[in-house]
Amino acid sequence: MATLIEAEAASGGADITQRPLNRRNVRETIVRYRWLLLLMLPGITYFVLFRFWPMYGAQIAWRDYIPFLGIEGSEWVGWKHFEDFFTNPDFPRLLGNTLILAALSLFIAFPLTIVMALLLNELRLNILKRTVQTLVYVPHFLSWTVVVSLTGLLFAIGNGPLWTGVNDLLGTDINFLTDPAWFRPLIVLQDVWKNTGWGTIIFLAALASVDQEQYEAAIIDGAGRWQRVWHITLPSIRSTIIVLLILQTGQILNTGFEQIYLMSNPLNRTVADVFDTYVYFVGIQQGSYSYATAVGLAKAIVGVILIFGTNWIAKRFNQQGIF
Amino acid sequence: MTPRKRLRAPLAILTVTGLALTAACTSGGDDPDGGDGGDSAGGDALSSLSIMAPYFAAVPPEEDDLIDQALSELTGVDLTVQWVPNTDYGERTNVVLAGDDIPDVMVMGKTPAFVQTAEAGGFWELTDYLNSGDYPNLVSENPEVQEATSVNGHVYGVYRARDVIRHCIILRADWLENLGLEQPETVEELYEVARAFTEDDPDGNGADDTYGFINPAWPGSIGSGSPYDAIELWHGAGNVWLEDGGELVPSFTTDEWMEAVEYERDLVQNGYTNPDYATMDPATWNEPFLNGEGGIIVDVQSRAPQLVELFREQDPENAENYVALVGQPEGPHGTFAMPTAGYSNFLAIPRSSVETEEQLEQVLQVLNDMNSTEAQILLNNGIEGDNFTVEDGYAVYNEDRQDFTDQVSGAWAQLGTNVAGYDAYSTQPATPYDEELAQLRLDLQAEDLENAVFNPAASLASETYQSSGTQLDTLISDARLQFVAGQIDEAGLQDVIDRWHSQGGDQVIAELNELYSELG
Amino acid sequence: MARVKYRFNTPAGKVFDAVNVIVLIGVGTIAILPFLYVLAGSFATEYELTTRPFFLWPNEFTTDAYASILSSSVFVRAFVTTIVVTGVGTAIQLVLTALMAYPLSKIDLPGRRTIMSLVVFTMVFSAGLIPTFLVVKQLGLLDTYWALILPAAINPFSLIIIKNFFQELPKELEESAKIDGANELRILRSVVMPLSKPVLATFALFYAVGIWNDYMSPLIYLNDTSKWTLQMFLRQVTAASSLTAEDLGNELPPPAQGIKFAVVMVATIPVLLAYPFLQKHFAKGMLIGSVKG
Repeated sequence: MATLIEAEAASGGADITQRPLNRRNVRETIVRYRWLLLLMLPGITYFVLFRFWPMYGAQIAWRDYIPFLGIEGSEWVGWKHFEDFFTNPDFPRLLGNTLILAALSLFIAFPLTIVMALLLNELRLNILKRTVQTLVYVPHFLSWTVVVSLTGLLFAIGNGPLWTGVNDLLGTDINFLTDPAWFRPLIVLQDVWKNTGWGTIIFLAALASVDQEQYEAAIIDGAGRWQRVWHITLPSIRSTIIVLLILQTGQILNTGFEQIYLMSNPLNRTVADVFDTYVYFVGIQQGSYSYATAVGLAKAIVGVILIFGTNWIAKRFNQQGIF
Repeated sequence: MTPRKRLRAPLAILTVTGLALTAACTSGGDDPDGGDGGDSAGGDALSSLSIMAPYFAAVPPEEDDLIDQALSELTGVDLTVQWVPNTDYGERTNVVLAGDDIPDVMVMGKTPAFVQTAEAGGFWELTDYLNSGDYPNLVSENPEVQEATSVNGHVYGVYRARDVIRHCIILRADWLENLGLEQPETVEELYEVARAFTEDDPDGNGADDTYGFINPAWPGSIGSGSPYDAIELWHGAGNVWLEDGGELVPSFTTDEWMEAVEYERDLVQNGYTNPDYATMDPATWNEPFLNGEGGIIVDVQSRAPQLVELFREQDPENAENYVALVGQPEGPHGTFAMPTAGYSNFLAIPRSSVETEEQLEQVLQVLNDMNSTEAQILLNNGIEGDNFTVEDGYAVYNEDRQDFTDQVSGAWAQLGTNVAGYDAYSTQPATPYDEELAQLRLDLQAEDLENAVFNPAASLASETYQSSGTQLDTLISDARLQFVAGQIDEAGLQDVIDRWHSQGGDQVIAELNELYSELG
Repeated sequence: MARVKYRFNTPAGKVFDAVNVIVLIGVGTIAILPFLYVLAGSFATEYELTTRPFFLWPNEFTTDAYASILSSSVFVRAFVTTIVVTGVGTAIQLVLTALMAYPLSKIDLPGRRTIMSLVVFTMVFSAGLIPTFLVVKQLGLLDTYWALILPAAINPFSLIIIKNFFQELPKELEESAKIDGANELRILRSVVMPLSKPVLATFALFYAVGIWNDYMSPLIYLNDTSKWTLQMFLRQVTAASSLTAEDLGNELPPPAQGIKFAVVMVATIPVLLAYPFLQKHFAKGMLIGSVKG
């Protein structure tokens, strides 16, 4: 009985070095891969049309773009917007706040999603499993506007159930919504509440692909429950975890705009300002699309470097990367 | 098999297609002057007119609805309106301006993006046309307001008029009576009312569960009509900018401003303001007032009838005893009243869709017709005999046609400019009390208008402010709230003001003063 | 093979099970409570909403909010439009993604790494609203439903994950199909896709939710109000709280809280209902053993 693990080792572990393409065997290659190439054609057309063609517009990062004048008609200003961004006196603070929030998401929200998926997977009562799954997935559908106003309701000074509860517990008189020390915990809490259940779906899909016979065989071999989780369940979602981790490192400078914007106020701004909210103020409210694009490009370059870096590290540790 | 021949390695496909498309795109042309707005190709006279406007109603009007038909008939052109949800209007505007299918008339605000576009020649300058007298319905009854809509003296749009005075103080009338207090007429008296509302048990329930001021988290920064802005103006700090010996100075650099923020800080620190002043959703502003938690709201007058209406749902018999509407108070250095900008956005005419002067004159003629009494009634009331009838000079709405009336007031009214005065019907007051309240509002408006302090820099567009004004303004409004909350002290506040100066504020001051002496 | 009964009868196993059930029920409750408040609020009177802080059952029950939303024929039309666009769009997006993911899952495909790098780049950098608008316009897609579907046809993230799933399928199955003379399209359709049902169902859900919740595309690409989708109407109501007095005409009151809550329900419940249908694909583990025979 061939297990998935073996199959994976056979395919993922052995990374075939790519054959160099020279003119002589191009034709041969095309013939050999004609079906695969044909299948990919619509996808490639899509990426060219809707993802790369619009990128000619990225040149507005080096211009002072005014929509009415068009892209080519707007004045060329060189690296001005990039310089403005990197020399901005608030830059270190923005970077710090952004990285802290990204780290919290990576080290708290992400592992919790995995734990949640594993716990759900261990539920044996099918009806309960399905019900809980459905319940935890509901919050994803409430917009940040709704989530933030519900947070306001729950932490309302004086009568918010959580304001009363937590302050009684700690014996304090904290206004959670404006206290800079509570900004990050609240952001993480909201993020976990809204997205953990949704995030488990992808792991549950991976778990659904596990061959049930493996568990049966393991039980016959006398493996305990913990051993089964450790040796069958976790390995079967390992590559999903790694791919998601790699992709998330690429998003490290993207904190999501809406949640933070809605949760920030003058009293917690010192910790709430991140790149995304800053770009909104400068780029969108002041109509400077060029500036927003320049920041977007700078962030993307960092993101690509991080993805390639973590992918390389993953491969060094004999894991399957995304490439 | 042809596909095989065309196929190279995937990378090659990508490159080749990519290049071909890029070429197609650049030759396809984003020529900004190439646009012809569809219906107005060349220099021909317009047979139709497209307008882009925001709407607030739940559902926008359908194409060729009753109002559209009546207006088209009235103006002699086939009118088409592109309705855009108000919340995303700005986003949509930028995209539309980037394309080559621009409407003939657009509702625009004086945003940095608009100023840039206008100065780059994107919109017709209307100053001379509006002053020519050819369009009597477009001659402003408030030249100062028209001046304020301009960009350094150039008028680019027909503004949509709003009441010049809207700010007032709304108090719990029953609390005043319980405590035997008079309506406050000075800021000191207002402070005393706030104190009494907090400490003297105005609802007589024996519990310490009330406060004075209700302030929400304000979505705008400085100079955006917040309660804080009003209090500062009452103290004599000016309206965003203050003229001092022929020089413009930012109001927050004055002693009067400092005095005012200390007043605000005392209100907060002593608990005379709602504890969630930094986070309260403005949409829930009425709630503490209704629930008897807070008793003072500094906001627009139209909130008063809203509150009366809500009390009526709750306690129909006594609804008239809860709300006191008071004019703006006298400050320690004189009487100053907070005006609005007097307008909300304007109708601007893009040059890429309306290409010739003849077409421009035609468009202005249509806008002139759309501001006639007849058109104003269509835009603000609807169709007489259908969704409303006229009684004693008031509009009485037909309840069966409420959906249509909502579309008129939530969408079509957005096209009304009323620059030469509002000639449509007002809604008939439901009760004598409502009529009284409406009259009180008019009286207070007239009274406060005499003391209104306008922003002397309203029409001036400084280049530095265009590029970093939002950040500079936010710097100050954040610091103001931090000071009020006790997070920073006076020295901390001064540090932020110094930072404002060094991060571009000094340039803004210099640029504005230069424009001011040039144009003033 | 006869199913072996799971043996969880050790005391530690029982304790774990009990704790797990309690924890997950707790988590489920916390997840759903705020939603229930919104639901209750959508049936409550405006007066109750302004006076009671948090409740799960309205004292006075009213359907006014729903009546005012659903009474308009415009909403019915938008609702149908949205369902059709979401259905068709999801199918198109899923097929396009799977078609591209499959060849990329072949590690010996020449140029694969380059394409993957480019895909990753598009994931972290998108060209922005205006350039994309100009492209959609030049392709003649403005004011058509294609503009709501095609610009987001392949999500790079979904592509990468699906590709990875394909890559992990046991190769013997494909090999044996190949020996039987099946071409790649056939293998994709009759071997790979059936084995990947859970992941395809997952991304069908992701795509469907994406189209359903999208308000930016209709806002930017559709002029014709008769083509508008549900979100275009709903967002107007929920996002209106940021208005300042100056924005509004003279006497227009802000939308009532109850209507906002009802709008959230109208926008959310249809997608929530889609979940149980897809859920059965997650629950069903595939039986590789039996496929192999």
